[in-house]
Amino acid sequence: MTDYIIQILPSMIEGLGVSAEIFALTLVLSLPLGMLLALVRISKIGIFRKIAAAYIYLMRGTPLMLQILFIYYGLPLIPGMEVQLGDFSSAIIAFVANYAAYFAEIFRGGIQSINRGQYEGAKVLGFTYKQTMWHIILPQVVKRVIPPLGNEVITLLKDTSLVYVLAMNDLMRVTRALVQRDVDTTPFIVAAVFYLVCTFVLTKILDRIEKHYAVYEE
Amino acid sequence: MAFIEMKDIVKTYGSSVVLHGVSLSMEKGQVVSIIGPSGAGKSTFLRCLNHLEIIQKGSICINGQYLARMDAEGNSVYAPEKEMRKICLNMGMVFQSFNLFPHMTVLENIMAAPVYVKGMTREEILPVAQRLLEKVGLWNKRDFYPGNLSGGQKQRVAIARALAMNPEIMLFDEPTSALDPELTGEVLKTIKQLADEDMTMIIVTHEMAFARSVSDKVLFMVDGRIDEEGTSEQIFDHPKNERTKTFLQHIL
Repeated sequence: MTDYIIQILPSMIEGLGVSAEIFALTLVLSLPLGMLLALVRISKIGIFRKIAAAYIYLMRGTPLMLQILFIYYGLPLIPGMEVQLGDFSSAIIAFVANYAAYFAEIFRGGIQSINRGQYEGAKVLGFTYKQTMWHIILPQVVKRVIPPLGNEVITLLKDTSLVYVLAMNDLMRVTRALVQRDVDTTPFIVAAVFYLVCTFVLTKILDRIEKHYAVYEE
Repeated sequence: MAFIEMKDIVKTYGSSVVLHGVSLSMEKGQVVSIIGPSGAGKSTFLRCLNHLEIIQKGSICINGQYLARMDAEGNSVYAPEKEMRKICLNMGMVFQSFNLFPHMTVLENIMAAPVYVKGMTREEILPVAQRLLEKVGLWNKRDFYPGNLSGGQKQRVAIARALAMNPEIMLFDEPTSALDPELTGEVLKTIKQLADEDMTMIIVTHEMAFARSVSDKVLFMVDGRIDEEGTSEQIFDHPKNERTKTFLQHIL
């Protein structure tokens, strides 16, 4: 058993690497994009607001798997587009597009939960809208959105397994291949431990961030 | 022209009129109190002065600069955004609900606007912040977050924060209404101190004794109109208007 685990470990770690890469890149790109989308979603200009709302509806209303498949297989078939992206790029674009929509709604909720008095307090001190958002509103939003954001982040970790549809060798696909090859369920257990360890680390990091913001009360 | 000149201000929300042509004229260094029953439009009137509320008719002029002018039909036309910001920077405001920034310490609350809005360096503003916090007696609380202060302390920080922008005019919108009775004194003392330093101030308040002692002029507002105005003695000792008399009898 131990020998078997040691034997499969290198390929599983390699798979984990692919998953981690998708996870990290998605997070780094979709968080700022989600914030931007949230600001457009509450913009004073009606048409911007509607476009953002429609985009969020589309992204949340269709399966992530469909989005991944569409970008990889669908885009090349659209006349005039004919772009064939690589599997990794396709996956990242789909994940970022999808997660930005979810993050945007979390950020929007956070922004709208801030008391109007904060805007007035800033305005009478001469802050512009941009300065108010950047220095006063958004720092407070961060504190409020960490718990719901943490949920999404943990979901993302597990959602990375969806890339198996593009035949990418992430942790889940490597695991499945091993199980089928060796007719042994041990890789499933090892994969589960991998995911649990990652989630544990993420939870700890999120706790840390929450503690950091706990220095002030509202 | 007077230092602050608000003329025939009309403010409507949809079809309901909240201010029916209210005017105010005051000189530099004066203290004006606005009193009256709840819902009279006192706060709304004050908030028109620094553009927190948009007026439909009338004009607002501060130190010779028009925030809003009247066109031929009497409709208000606001100055360009930049100019308005400049005019409003001349006014500090203190709210009933403090509106301190909860994610910043007391000291950061004071320094934020001078640094981000005026572009001052922290070294430049720190001595000013220290002087102001000492003045309101809270220098020792500089590293506290607002959430850990009492209401009275919060309001004193809010006053110091407004003063840090070095305004010529201070607006107080029911500064003690959210405070426990035993905490109002410390805030009123701070405001009184400003009055003694000849700060130009407009105060919306329910503290009649305070209004009486500090004001050069008192406006009594009812239903979006000024019912009576005059000096403290005129309003509090010899009110002419029945509404004023009844109101003061009930409250004093």
